Order: sequence, then structure tokens, then C-alpha cells
Amino acid sequence: MSIPAIRIQGLTKDFSVGMRGLKLRAVDGLDLEVGDNQIFGLLGPNGSGKSTTIKVILGLLEASVGKCEIYGKPSHTVDARRSVGFLPEAPYFYRYLSGRELVRFYARVCGVARANINDQVDSVIDLVGMTEAAHRRVGTYSKGMLQRIGLAQALVHDPQLVILDEPTAGVDPLGSAAIADIIRELKRRGKTILLSSHLLAQIEGLCDRVAILHRGKLVREGRVDDLVQDELSESLVVEGLSEAGRAAVAQAITEHGGRLCRVEKPRLSLDALFLNEVNQQESARQQTEASAPKEGGLE
Amino acid sequence: MQSPLSQHPLVLRLRRISVTCAVLLLLGVVLRPVESPAWTEVKAGQPELNLQAVEGALGQGLVLGVLGGFRTIMADFTWIRMNAVWQRRDRAKLDAMIRLVTTLDPRPEFFWVNSSRIVAYDVPHWRIDEEGGYDVVSEERQRDLDVEQAEQAFQLLARAREFHPDSPKLVLETGQIYLNRLKDIPNAAKWFLKAAEMPGAPYYAARIYADLLRQMDKSQEAYNYLKQLHQTLPDDPYAQKGIVLERIRNLEDDLKIPYLLRYNADQIAPVVNPSEQTYPFNEL
Amino acid sequence: MSAVVESIDRIRLIAGNTFLEAVRQKFFNSLLLISIALLASSTFFQQFDFGTGELKFITDFGFGALFFFGSILSITATTQLFFNEIENRTALTMLAKPVYKLEFLAGKFLGAHMLMLCFTLVISIVLAGMLYWRETELMARLGDEFTEGRLIRYGDIFIFGFLQWLKFGVLAAITLFVASFSNTNLYTIVVSFFVLIICQLQYIARDAYSSMEAGVGSWLVKVLGLIFPNFQLFNVGEQLVFNVEQGLPTVTLLQITAYALVYTVAFILLGQVNFRRREI
Repeated sequence: MSIPAIRIQGLTKDFSVGMRGLKLRAVDGLDLEVGDNQIFGLLGPNGSGKSTTIKVILGLLEASVGKCEIYGKPSHTVDARRSVGFLPEAPYFYRYLSGRELVRFYARVCGVARANINDQVDSVIDLVGMTEAAHRRVGTYSKGMLQRIGLAQALVHDPQLVILDEPTAGVDPLGSAAIADIIRELKRRGKTILLSSHLLAQIEGLCDRVAILHRGKLVREGRVDDLVQDELSESLVVEGLSEAGRAAVAQAITEHGGRLCRVEKPRLSLDALFLNEVNQQESARQQTEASAPKEGGLE
Repeated sequence: MQSPLSQHPLVLRLRRISVTCAVLLLLGVVLRPVESPAWTEVKAGQPELNLQAVEGALGQGLVLGVLGGFRTIMADFTWIRMNAVWQRRDRAKLDAMIRLVTTLDPRPEFFWVNSSRIVAYDVPHWRIDEEGGYDVVSEERQRDLDVEQAEQAFQLLARAREFHPDSPKLVLETGQIYLNRLKDIPNAAKWFLKAAEMPGAPYYAARIYADLLRQMDKSQEAYNYLKQLHQTLPDDPYAQKGIVLERIRNLEDDLKIPYLLRYNADQIAPVVNPSEQTYPFNEL
Repeated sequence: MSAVVESIDRIRLIAGNTFLEAVRQKFFNSLLLISIALLASSTFFQQFDFGTGELKFITDFGFGALFFFGSILSITATTQLFFNEIENRTALTMLAKPVYKLEFLAGKFLGAHMLMLCFTLVISIVLAGMLYWRETELMARLGDEFTEGRLIRYGDIFIFGFLQWLKFGVLAAITLFVASFSNTNLYTIVVSFFVLIICQLQYIARDAYSSMEAGVGSWLVKVLGLIFPNFQLFNVGEQLVFNVEQGLPTVTLLQITAYALVYTVAFILLGQVNFRRREI
């Protein structure tokens, strides 16, 4: 059996509040295992203990009770963090560095061999689609760009486990879709991805498995399909059916012991609609640009 | 299982503070052998400060500044303020400020020398003005005022010499006051000699001493002194050996010393700069 | 061995980055400009015609500016550089990397210390330049007061600067220690200034206890004198620059250096103990 990317056993984290000895329990007896090469979603409302769990995994906080391992190594050790890349929520970086300098800086901090640094930096910047903006100062980046350069710095030392805290929070649907694509690409490259989010719809189609936290406790955990499927009902999507045809289908259902619960028009999610529209506009614009004669400069 | 009291944040914090203090205390004890000799050395370079003497004048806030290491700057600014007081001729305040400056920072001879000059030269003039001017005040009274003020300046310079026992400047200044203000040539001569004998004294101190001897009709003594001086002077343009030799020749003329018995400068200490040599011996 | 080299490399990187961030701060630049302007304004002493005394005034003024503004800068810059990382959560990104918290603290400290080195060097060079210019002018005017050549020992200005820089190091380490358990910028600055004043004045209490009768008060004063470093030890301006006969012995210079280094390391390590527990 292969070692899981993350193994959390009986994790409890208490915070002291004030001087009167009151304690606030952020995570309560959490058991969790994230297998290798999975996209794992940590879901839950704000304050459900997602970020605290991530901080314990990263060794930024010490567990009050319980233990946490990354590929078999205790998570509070520096050694364990060599195989982890992390993108914090709403990342903020040294504004005066260019995107490339920033990624390079973190590559050196992570001990990427000097001979490989340039290739490694170029490759992750390319992966996150920031090649054109890499020379610009981080201070001039939009939120989506910050998120992407953040992703680049998390990946620059080629970690096996990538932890993303709310990677799509505050990013427009286009940006979110781009980040989702990068995450899928990472999985394809054999990485394990743990991501936390409260925007459930955005990660529904992305995660292999999810865990739902509420008030620090694990509520559900499992494969996404298993969790969201309604085992008792099925849906048929049909096109061009006449009134008479519909009546015949309804009758056939009844005859075979089924029950027609409702008839509705399939709806596109607003995200999907938006992406569709924007993508169409983009491809139309690119076509026009390609066919139009290039404007010449002064010669 | 630990009791909940030992886990109380207040108890934990108190424990942390005590451990930190204990560590620092231990560090202080361990470092004492390094710190102590260094501190003794550094402290020796800082003159003792009589806090009570300056407290009233400075005010509490400034005392903190003085103690915190800004005392030389405080002294500098007090000196500048004293200049304003000096311009206003506020005598009472001037005395207090001189005392304050020299207490705050007794290191610079500059403070002592200039203070004594103000006390000895300027103040008598102001006092005479206050009493109606030179036309009204009798010569006797003028003389009394001069003596009174010079006495104050001497006291100031005596205190300065406690801090700078090896400074010829302060000794010289005493001589200057005797000479210029009190026209007391015997006393002036005594102080000029004292200064001239100190290491680092300006060369002119000895020349003036010889001149004062002459003024006191002690030409022979002056002649002997200068001859001895000329032999010991280095070949430094500032030493003005030429002038000394010129004075020797003048005295030889005055004392009518036969040529053959006259001072032979070349024999003992050859003069490097012939242009300064007023009486080339071989030509005579 | 390679682990040590890697660790030093990381500290160097963090320090370099901290320094770059620091020199870009408006606060540093304005403080540097104010200090230089203040130093330049000491030409104002010319009008009093102090003679060679003017040089003493300029020196005192320069040393005072170095000490005063240096202390302010050391405390505020260290605080700012530390809390910038915490508040902007760049510390989160950094500490999620294979970086020890001690390396992070050491890097922050060295970055701030390099900033202080720049500040101290600039002030010392400007002061030396001012003094050289004034001394040359005064030499031309009052030649006989300079029979033994120049009055000022210019090397001493830099020795003083070096010792002040060491003191700023202890101060920055103390500030980092305070920051390690404090939650706000303001609290850190206020407490650090408070500690600075105690360190600056503790010698009075120490001198006093030697003449006190043995008792609780005497013990308390003694303990206080041992807990807080003695910053007056660095106040060696009196023995430098003009004092030809009784300069600062090399052994004393070495003792003060060792004293500063030990305290700097101690306060960083104490800060690390708090910082390890701190929620980032």
C-alpha cells in the first residue's frame, strides 16, 4: 500500500482566547487521509476549520492533540515541507519584485539547484500562463494574476503535494476556470492537490474526493460522484419530442412501475454560460485579428 | 495530567516572563567579566557629573536626556544659548550658564578658556558701563572691578585645571589675564613660565616669558633663558628660531656683551632655514 | 555540513530581500535625509566663530544625530519589516517553505541590520566629510592651533559608528524579541523604546547600588542591572576623535564587540522561543 500524501489522526486544535483561560476549538478530532495523485477538496463555510487544518498540515501551527503526516513524515518538520507547495488565500507578495524575480526568489529559498533554476522558473511561469507578464512588478498584478504567480511560486520546487487555500476566492469565472485547468494539469503530472474552498460549485467538477467540515468536525468524506448522486432517481435528456410523444413516454414510465417526478428544461450553470459566451467572443476576435491585414508602422 | 491552573494563560505567561528574566539574568552574570572592565574603561573617559548642580537649571526632561547620553549636545546648545545671554549682557544668567556648560561637559578646554575671557574681559567693561561709564567711574573703582572679575576667571581656570591638569592652554590663559587685564607682569611671567615648561605648550609662551623678564629689568635672566631656549627649539617653522635668535642679539646689544662672548647659534644647533637667521655668525 | 551551508544561504536570501524592502521604505529615506540635513545644518556653528571648538560642536552634533535617529530607525524599521510580513501574510508563504523559523528571524534581523549599516556608514561619511572641510578651512585661518597637524582622528569616527551599529544590532534584536510576542506594531515600538531607555539609563542604578546599603532595594537594582544590557558601554564618543592621549584601548573595543554580539544572538534566540509558538 502506498503512503498517503496526507494522514491526519485525531487532530484537535484549541486557541486560547483572552486572559481568562477560555478556549476556542477550531478543529475537533479530525481524521483524514488524502491519497497520492488525487485532487482533494476541503469544503466548509467560513470558520469551519479549513484554514487551521491547512496550517497544521504546513507546520505553521502545532496540533493541540493528534498528529499529522505528509508522506509519512511528521508535518511540523522542515523536512516534510520539502515536498509541499502552498498557495495561501488572497496571496500578497513583495510588490517591488517582478513576477519572475519573485518565483526565482522562492525557488532559491526552496533550494532548487542553481543549474536548474532558470528552466524551473520558466517552466512554472509558462504552466500558469504568466510568461508575458513575468517581467512586470507584482504590485501591478490583478487578483487573478497574483493567484497565478502565487501558484507558480508554490510549484517552483516541483513539490509532490500542492496545497491551495481558497484558490478561486475573489477571482472571476475566467480566472477560476484557468486555475482549474492548471490543477487538472498538475494531477496529470502525478501531483496530489489539496484545496480548500467555500465555493462549492466551482470545485464540484474538479475534485476526486471531498471532505466537508463544519465547526471543526468532519461531516462527510468521499468521492464527489458518490456524495452528490441521487441513487434513487435518473434523468433523461431528450430533444424534439412532440406533445404526443411526451404523453407516451409518461405512460410508458407508469406502465413499467416508475413515477415521473417532474419535467423541466435543463439549465446551464451561470458559470458555464459565462464561459461559453466569453470563449465564443474571444475566438471570434482572434479570427478577425488573424484575417485583418496587419497595421504597418512608419517605414 | 496537569491541573487546569497550570495551563491558565496567565500562569503560562508569568512562567514565560520569569524564564526570560532568568535567562537574561544568567546572561548578565556570565557577561559581567567582559562588561565590567570595558565599562570601567569607558566610564573613566566620562567625567563625573554632579547631577544636583545641573538638575535645577536643566529641568527634569533634560536631565533624562543628559543621563541618556546626550550630555555633550546639551552642553553645546547651552553654550549657544549662553552666547545670546552674553549679547544681552545678562550677568546673573551668564554666571549660571557658564557653570552649567562646564559642569555638563568639562572636556572641551574651549568652554573654559572662552568663559574665563568673558568673565575677565567683558564683564568688567559691562559693570563699568552699569555704574555710569569710564568717565564717571574712578580709576580706582575700575581697577577694583578688574581685579574682582579676574579673580573669578582665575577660579574658573583653576577648576578647569582640575579636569585638564596637563593643559598648557589653561595655564597660559591665566598668564594672559594677569598680563593684559591686570598688567601684573611678575605674576604673568610666573604663569607664562609655567605654561612654557609644559609639554605641548605653544612656542610663543617662552618668548613672551623672556620678554616679560626684560620688562622687569631682568635682561640677563632673559638672555640666559633665551639662549637655553634656542638650543632646545626644534627646526620647526612654528618654533620661530630666527625670532628667538633676533631677541638674543638684541639682548646682547643691550647687555653690551663682547662679540667674542656672544651666543654661537651654529655651534650647538645649526639653523636649517638661513633666511630666518638674522645674524649669520661667520659674517660678523 | 551542506545543511549548514543551505541554511546560511536561506538566511542570506531572506536578509537580502528584507534589506531591499527596507531601503524602499519612505521612512528610511526620509530619516536618512533628515539626519543628513541636520548634519549639514551644523555649518550653522560657523557663525559663532568658535575657532577649533566648532569641530567639537559638529562632532557632538553628528554623533548625537547618529545615536538618536539610528535608535529610532532601528526600532521602527525592525518592527515594520517584521509586521509587514505578518500582516501581509508573506510570512505564511515563506514559512510554508522548507525554512526554519529561526532562519526567518535571523534573515529579518540581518536585513534590518544591513539597513542600519547603510545608515551608519552614510552618516559617518557625511560627518567625516563635513569635519574635513571645516578643519581644512580652520587650518588655513588659525594655523598655529594646528602645529601638530590635524586635530581630528578621522578613523575614530568610524570606530564610533561601528560601535553604534553594534548597539543598533542589540536594539534590533530586542525589538524582534518584543515583536515575537506582541500583536501590534505600536505595542512593539513603545515597549522597545521603553527598553532602550532602561538600557540607556541602567548604569545610574548600577552606580547607585554600589553605594546602597545591602537590602531588598539594593538587590532589586542589582538584578535590574544584570537583566538589561548596558547601552552606555557604547557611549565612547568622549574617548574618540579628539582625545589623543587617552584613546579607547583595543581590548575594550573587543570586549564591547563581544558583549554586543552575545546579546544580539541571545535576544534573537529568545525571540525564536516565542515565535515558534506564534500563530502565523
